[in-house]
Parts: sequence; structure tokens; C-alpha cells
Amino acid sequence: MAKVTDMVLWDKPGEKVLLLGNQAIARGALEANIAVYAAYPGTPSSELTDTMAIVAKKAGVYMEYSTNEKVAFETALAAAWSGLRAMTAMKHVGLNVAADTFLSSVGMGVEGGFVIMVADDPSMWSSQNEQDTRVYGKFANVPVLEPSSPHEAKEMTEYAFELSEKFKHFVILRTTTRTSHARGDVVLGELPEEIKQGKRKFGKFNKDPNRFVDVPANARKFHPIILEKIEKIREEFNNMPFNWIEGDESAKVGIIAPGLAYAYVKEALHWLGVENVKVLKLGTPFPVPYGLLEKFMDGLEKVLIVEELEPVVEEQVKTWAYDRGLRIPIHGKDLVPRVYEMTTRRAVTAIAKFLGIDVPLDYGELDAKYNKALEIVPPRPPSLCPACPHRNSFYAIKKATRARGIYPSDIGCYTLGLLPPLNAVDTTVAMGGSIGIAHGLEIAQHGSMSEEQRKKEKKIIVATIGDSTFYHTGLPALANAIYNRSNILIVVLDNLVTAMTGDQPNPSTGQTPHGMGKRIPIEDVAKAMGADFVEVVDPYDTKKTYEVMKKALEVEGVSVVVSRQVCALYKIGQMRRRGEKWPIYYVDEDACTGCKVCINAYGCPAIYWDEERKQARIEPSMCWGCGGCAQICPFGAFKPVEEGEE
Amino acid sequence: MKVKEYNIVIAGVGGQGVLTAANILGWAALHAGYKVRMGEVHGMSQRFGSVVSYVRFGEEVYGSMVPEGKGDVILGFEPVEALRYINHLRQGGMVVVNTKPIVPVQVSMGKARYPEIDEIKKIVEEDFKAKWIGFNAEELAIKAGHVVTTNTVLIGALTQIPEFPLDAEHVREVIRLSVPPKAVDINMKAFDLGIEAAKEILGL
Repeated sequence: MAKVTDMVLWDKPGEKVLLLGNQAIARGALEANIAVYAAYPGTPSSELTDTMAIVAKKAGVYMEYSTNEKVAFETALAAAWSGLRAMTAMKHVGLNVAADTFLSSVGMGVEGGFVIMVADDPSMWSSQNEQDTRVYGKFANVPVLEPSSPHEAKEMTEYAFELSEKFKHFVILRTTTRTSHARGDVVLGELPEEIKQGKRKFGKFNKDPNRFVDVPANARKFHPIILEKIEKIREEFNNMPFNWIEGDESAKVGIIAPGLAYAYVKEALHWLGVENVKVLKLGTPFPVPYGLLEKFMDGLEKVLIVEELEPVVEEQVKTWAYDRGLRIPIHGKDLVPRVYEMTTRRAVTAIAKFLGIDVPLDYGELDAKYNKALEIVPPRPPSLCPACPHRNSFYAIKKATRARGIYPSDIGCYTLGLLPPLNAVDTTVAMGGSIGIAHGLEIAQHGSMSEEQRKKEKKIIVATIGDSTFYHTGLPALANAIYNRSNILIVVLDNLVTAMTGDQPNPSTGQTPHGMGKRIPIEDVAKAMGADFVEVVDPYDTKKTYEVMKKALEVEGVSVVVSRQVCALYKIGQMRRRGEKWPIYYVDEDACTGCKVCINAYGCPAIYWDEERKQARIEPSMCWGCGGCAQICPFGAFKPVEEGEE
Repeated sequence: MKVKEYNIVIAGVGGQGVLTAANILGWAALHAGYKVRMGEVHGMSQRFGSVVSYVRFGEEVYGSMVPEGKGDVILGFEPVEALRYINHLRQGGMVVVNTKPIVPVQVSMGKARYPEIDEIKKIVEEDFKAKWIGFNAEELAIKAGHVVTTNTVLIGALTQIPEFPLDAEHVREVIRLSVPPKAVDINMKAFDLGIEAAKEILGL
């Protein structure tokens, strides 16, 4: 079992390896001789970026963790304009951030292949909404490729670059959580010489202001060109290698299965034991190739489209059928749910209903038994890790505001401050949104209150935002709040790493995948922008943190407190690797009064309640030694054990 | 004899090594010549929340998730987590489970109750007609040398269940190659302790 990153660079064509969908895409990009890669991490896309970060130098690929998706998009786009093969990756909501550049530049096209990998998250396993990127593809008239397995993801990535170059057009490679985070057997292909030698490729930008300047006079010419390209690509897709018709040719019923839905449809048909069905496997949910559709529909009496989320393929097929005067039943979202992710159960249920046959399992009975079992299963939502510095920051904020503030927060691990007992997150919308929302709340809460009234009824507003998020989209919001004389406290939870997506570096870290970049301290930015109060605290010192918060709250204007302490999960991981030890804490049974402050106000997952003794206890295997409990316990019951843990 | 389809559901708490265990089984299956599909949880869900990973292999596997009612075995790293995904188990399947609980904060706060192990076992055996192979794997891991080998203990036990399609020695080899050199010995011991525990329960 070799290291994954080694496998991604293996010069062993034909070798079968087990890769994560995202890693398979990285390999596909290398096989396609990619030159430039830029992205901001976002689950479920992050492992693609992380894999590129590790292999880039060796493969001679320029790679960067950009500060947000828009600038990542621009970095890669400019490289593609310069004739290089370039890629950017993001999660679905990341495309919203890049959308301005995306929709404005699509008409300009590219010279080198340009692939935009977007990972959707149906069922929202770690996302704030459920949006279907295929709709963006249709909106922008950019083709969308969607793989049905990790191996196909690799193959499709290579094809995506070729397609993009052939039509000088953008290409979206869309995955969902279950492709990006699926592992499967992948057969390695050939690596190009330049990648094997690790030679950096250089591009050449040929000036053409009529093409690259989107003043109205130029932009007006773009739209018809885009439409022309997409129709040509539709033609192309009739014969592309990831679209095909399979199954019984004489069948009277057909199923259209785009992307990953194909895997579920295959599984469902297998389980149902159904054979007399024709299947259109679609690797291109947009645009749907009409020639292939025509061939597929020939002789069919009814059709079912099994697709995840929006009826993107369904609408295209129905429009096509209507225009052709084809009057057969075309089912889709009437049988397949439009919300949440596809499952085999959903595919089986839809197909069984479509064919008028029984499902192979009594789901009613299963659900009844399962619901009964769930009655005794306690909830276990994710939580801030033991020793997470954010817990201490939130604890100090709550204490300093006497729990009477309004707490807008942002996207990151710290969103978990929402959960009891901290309850320190009142709003979360999108990256960087905490500061904008805080400013808006301040205006709304205080409006035209008189000085006197304000003193009496003032609502304290404390925004929390992470370091990476601060640089992602927090900056313009901070400028806005300072410029417009807002009166809010912004606590930047700086754990020196983009923790939630897997410890990627950012400007506060200063680190790049290729060594040190230039570190930008958050406090310097806040000061330069003109914040009225700026201070840095170590949240592991809860008393000092609390005192600084108190002081910041007394200041009129925008206060910025940078609460800096390295991510505990990251730190412990590093220490484990180095074989280092850390102190662990225990509860002194003579000192613990059972007041439960540690459980009801602090909520470290390593602390549990001993029901028999009515005292708190620490699970030693979960204690990461921050000592926060020792500082918040009014009775000094938490004490460090001399002997550390490995 | 090759199996057409074999489905393992691995359930636990973020940080327990669920993903590592899944990876080991996936590689063992790949080496055994099977087509492999695995589905896993990343990002926010991993932070001490409930985590599930699927390992599927055989001649005919497509999706990365084990469908409801199709799991051959649930490998539970934690007792209530095994129960949380019990809907994935087929009738007559197996539950191989570490009986050492990790109590959620909500329970400590008095907002939820943690069930008795026997209540869980009863549901598994009576409602789901599944075989329960429960033991304190954490204790055995500590005995082997370190608590982090709990997942190795459980994998060892898993290889002993009837009709398990991967060869135990084959799985052991993948573990040997995938753990850091200095951790090989305690992992091998943990694997053996898991095998013994399962054999004893199964009366082998």
C-alpha cells in the first residue's frame, strides 16, 4: 500500500490502484499535462487541491492555494489564455464566488485547455446549501462533464482538457460528494514526458484587446459566439467516449442516467433483475446530445430520467421531445426526488414504480424497525475538538458579553460554536458574511437611537470569522464596516490553518506548498484599514482573552481582536507524527463539586459526567492538554497528570 | 470462490480511525482481485461526530454507498454508532462491535440518554435478526500496546466471521505495510487479540 501521492505520480501505466475520486482527477490532470492549478479548498473538492499541492513541484506544475475561488479562477484562466492547460477547483458554493469572472469571461474563451472542477454536495454533508452546478453550466452555456466512477473521473479529466482546447471554450467537470469521496479501482495511464521530468511549462499571452476587454462593444459579440460553440459541442457529444446506449435494443422502455446516477441505475436494475430496458448513460448532462437521444428514443414507449437534484437533463429531453412532436411519457422528478442525494433505494423505488413491479425489499418494515432503533440512539453532531482554541474564544466572548450579545459567525469549524453548550453562533450565511451581517445588524438594531437610548438598550454585536475566511471575503466587509463607522466587535479566530477542509495554509499561515510565502498578519491589516481597536490574544489564556474582549467592547467603532492559537487537531497530528507527548488532565475527585460548569458552559468532548459519583471526568484518550478546563473550573478540580500521552 | 458482492459498513466517531480501517479493507479487496467501491465522510462531519464509511467489493459493485438492507456486516467502533446505521444491514447479517462507549456531550449535559449495551444488542438480535459479536476492543488495544490500535483489533475480529471473503493473513499483510514501521508489532498483536476475541465469541 503505497502513499497515495506517490501513486498519483507513478510512472506505471496499466497499474491498478485504489484512489479517491478527487485523487483520480488529479492524476487525470497530470496525464493531460496540466501546467497551472489554482484553487481555494472547499469540501468535497479539497483533496484534489491537496493532492496537486503535494505532487505539483515534482511534476513541474504551478500550484497555489488562492485566497478565494474568484482569484483562483482568474489565475487559472489567465494561464489558459496564455496557451497552457490550467485547472481550478471549488465546491458548488465556491462557483458563486467565482461567478462574476466566470460569466463575464466565458465569451472570451481560452487557448490552452481550461477545466473548472466543481464538487456539488447533495444532502449537504458539509455545506450551507444544495445547489446544482449543472444549472450554472446551462446558464453560462458551458459544457458539463459528470463522471460515474473514480476511474471515469480520471479519464474524463483528460478528455475535458482536450475538449476545451478543441473548442477554445470552458469545460466544467462536475462531481458530487459521492464521486469526490468515493474510492475505487483506477487504472493508471501514461504520463507525459514533461510531467515525468518535472519541467515547468511557460505560456505566451498574445494581446488581443478586442477579445480580452469586455467593454460593451466587444462583449456584444461574445454571446452569439458562446451559443454557436455550445451547439457544436452538443454535436460533438453524440460521439464522445463517456456517452453510450446499452441494454436490450428491442426494449420498449428506457432509462436515462447522467453522471453518478448511472451507478445507482445499474445497481438497481441488477437488484431488480430487470433486463428488457435500454439505458442511455450520459457523461454530459449539459448539453444533451440530440443525435444520441434520437437513436436512444427510437422505438421506446416510455422513458425515465434518473438524476440527482434539479431536472436539468429532464427539461432538455422534454423540450427536445416536444419540438420533435414525440408524445411518449417522459418521467423524471415525478418519480425521483428533487432534494437530497441519490441512493440505490431511491433508484430502485423509482424504477420499480416506473416499470410497475415490486421493490425487492419491504422498506416500510425496515423503516419501522429502524425508527424504533433510533429512539434509543442519542444524537452525536460534530463538535469542536478537544483543546480547540475556538472553544476558549467563544467562552470568553460569552462571558464578556454576559451571553446577551448577537453573534454573527462564518463558514468554518467554528460554525460548530452554534451547538450547546456554547450557543455562540446566531447567524451563518456564506464565506465572509459574518462581518457584513454584523454591520447590518448594528444599523438595524440601533438605527436612529439617541445617545442616551443607545447607552441603555445597546445590543452588543460580536462577529466571529476564521483566518482563511477573513482573507477569502472578510476583507471588503471589514473595509465597509470601518468606512461606514460601524460599532461592532470582530473576533478573528486565527488558528493559522484552513482547518475544516484539511489544514491548508493561507496568508495568515504564510506557508505555501513550496515553502514560505509572505505571511500577512491579520492585526496589521486591521490596523492599516483603520480599525478603532486592534489586539492579539492567546485563547489558551482564557482570563486574558476575556479581559481583552471586555476592553474591546467598550470601544466605540470597529474593534478587531485576533484570537491566535494553532488548530489543536493540526498540532496534535504533528506531535503524534514526531512521537511527542503532551500533558493530559484529570479530575481531582476531592475538589470536584459537581457544579457542571465544565459540561454546561464549556463543553469539551473529553469531559464526561460520572453519573454514579456525580462528578466530571476526563477521558484520557481524548484529552489534548490545552488546560482550558483547569482555567474555567471555579474549584480548581482539573489538574495535569505528570506523565504525558504519546 | 469469488463473491458477487460483499458490503461492509464501518461506523464510529470522528477520530477513531474509521477511514483508515476502510482503506485497509479496500486495499485487501483490491489485492484479492475484486472490483472495489468505497464511500467515506470528510470535512465537518469528521469532528467527533458520527462517521460512517462503506467498503464494497465483488464482481458487480457500482455505487460507493452500501444500500439500506444490503450490508453483510456492520463494523462498529462504538456501540450506538453501530446501531445508528443498522438500517444498512441485511437480514441475518453480522454486527462486530467495540462495546466501549464514547458518550456524546449531549448525554453529559443531561439532554439525551445513552442506552445500555444490552438494549442495543437486543434490537440487533431480535429486530434485525443479526448476530452480535460485541467485546471491549479498546481494552484489547491497550493490552496490545496502544489505544489507537482499536481499529486493528476490530479488523482482526472481522476476518473471523463466517463467510468473510478476504483471507485474514492477506488483511494482516496490508496492515503491516500501511502502519508506520515502529507500530507494526503492536498492530500485529492487536490483530491477533481481535482474532482470538471473535473466535471465542463464535465458539471456533
